[in-house]
Amino acid sequence: MRLRQQLSSAFTFSAPFAVLLVLWALLVPYFNVNPRLFPDLGSVMQAGIEGFQDGSLIGHIGASLLRVAVGTVLALVVAIPLGVAMGVSPVVSSFLTPLFRFFSVLAGIAWIPIATLWFGYGFGAITFIIFNAVFFIVTYNTLLGVSTIPRQVRDAAASLGAGRWAMLTEVLLPGALPNIVTGIRTGLGFAWRGLIAAEMIATNVGLGYMLFVARDFYRTEVIVLGMIVIGVLWLLLDRLLLAPLERATIERWGMVQRA
Amino acid sequence: MSPLLQAWSAYVRLTVRWPSIASIVPFVPVAAVWWMVTELELFPRVFLPGPVEVVRSFGSLVYKGILPEYLQDSMVRLAVGAFWGIALGIPLGILVGTSQRAHTALWPLLLFFQAIGDIAWLPILVIWFGYGLITMTFVIVYTVIFPVVLNTVLGVRSIPITMHRAALSLGASRARILWEVVLPGALPNIVTGLRNGLGYGWRALIAAEIIVGTSGIGFLMFDARRAGSVVEILLGMIILGILWYIVDSWILAPIERATGQRWGLVTR
Repeated sequence: MRLRQQLSSAFTFSAPFAVLLVLWALLVPYFNVNPRLFPDLGSVMQAGIEGFQDGSLIGHIGASLLRVAVGTVLALVVAIPLGVAMGVSPVVSSFLTPLFRFFSVLAGIAWIPIATLWFGYGFGAITFIIFNAVFFIVTYNTLLGVSTIPRQVRDAAASLGAGRWAMLTEVLLPGALPNIVTGIRTGLGFAWRGLIAAEMIATNVGLGYMLFVARDFYRTEVIVLGMIVIGVLWLLLDRLLLAPLERATIERWGMVQRA
Repeated sequence: MSPLLQAWSAYVRLTVRWPSIASIVPFVPVAAVWWMVTELELFPRVFLPGPVEVVRSFGSLVYKGILPEYLQDSMVRLAVGAFWGIALGIPLGILVGTSQRAHTALWPLLLFFQAIGDIAWLPILVIWFGYGLITMTFVIVYTVIFPVVLNTVLGVRSIPITMHRAALSLGASRARILWEVVLPGALPNIVTGLRNGLGYGWRALIAAEIIVGTSGIGFLMFDARRAGSVVEILLGMIILGILWYIVDSWILAPIERATGQRWGLVTR
């Protein structure tokens, strides 16, 4: 029964895409659209198959994902401890909040010009951009999360004899976790866009680069393929990793804040 | 210790009276550290110029008239994009939110096209429309519209069905339900969506100006990057930050708070 329900919901979810594909397959040949303006379905599929066979598509995807992973992990390793440390003291956190808001505004794309100047074109610059996009937003959200933990909860833990470590692992981190996870999701959203933009400018491998080079040769089938890959990847990342993570933490620890 | 504490309490009292001070003063030590780092020449000046140079280049760019013009270009693009994003996004969101059929047909597509992301559209847009205003407007509208639509749908769907029934049983027509139940009920979500959308749209604008631009703050930064002038890049970043800070915390956040207070209760 449950399987059937899942199947039918999967069907209703994918039906609009099927309609769109059919329209695409029919309309483009019917109106005889110039392939330099918009490709037909067959050539995009062929470009996809070729990309898989000669490994270039896998290479671009791998390069993009690796950059996101490295930048994000580095940012989280620094941002969460920093955010917690700053959020503990209300004086420090109220003083620093505007700073981090300011820098999280710049997150991502605005760093591209200076990053390419500092690190040259390549892996360093792009990782730096992703690091920045995630770092400031996650720090800001951690700061916010820790400083909105109700005073009583911390007092209660302290009066029950919680040491610094217990306070950290059992009060501060769980209390801030919903905010942290929301921050990660937003930050990654900006980082992903920043990645595509940065790859268009500053590198010679990656999805953004693939799109931008294809534009020089009017190879719209590669561009559309790249757009679909970018969309699918982000959808998978967001739906399969980030959204469940967010839901789980909010269900598990979200109540702490409403106390 | 006590003079320091006194200074701090004086500062706190000041910020209570004029809250805007609290969002400016924290930048003073940052600027001081920045100035010191550049004075000590920890990094080569070419790579990290000091605040004095940045202020000077601000002065000269304003004097030449480049900066006001670029700033105006960027703001006009953002405003045009925001306008169309709202004008198309809210009706579409209400349609998808109220009609179950539209929801099954369009919701998956909306999710997917949102995931493609504005910037990935740039290459093909450049082929279609060339380097120009249409490309940039398209990118911004595309970016603004999705958060607005998705949040409007969320808002419309979170209105309790009892509200509809109450309005219906009191004899409200469809138009009045739309106007007096659906729209106010969804308004807090719509405003939140608008705020998110403009946040993304702002970044998309910068990216578009960097990649296809002929003017604007993003173009200023990229042009400076080509010439290797870090001063103007830093200036551009600071202007971007300040501008968005002002738009977000003086315009959008108050609107969000006001609608939340006025109509937010409906959804609870």
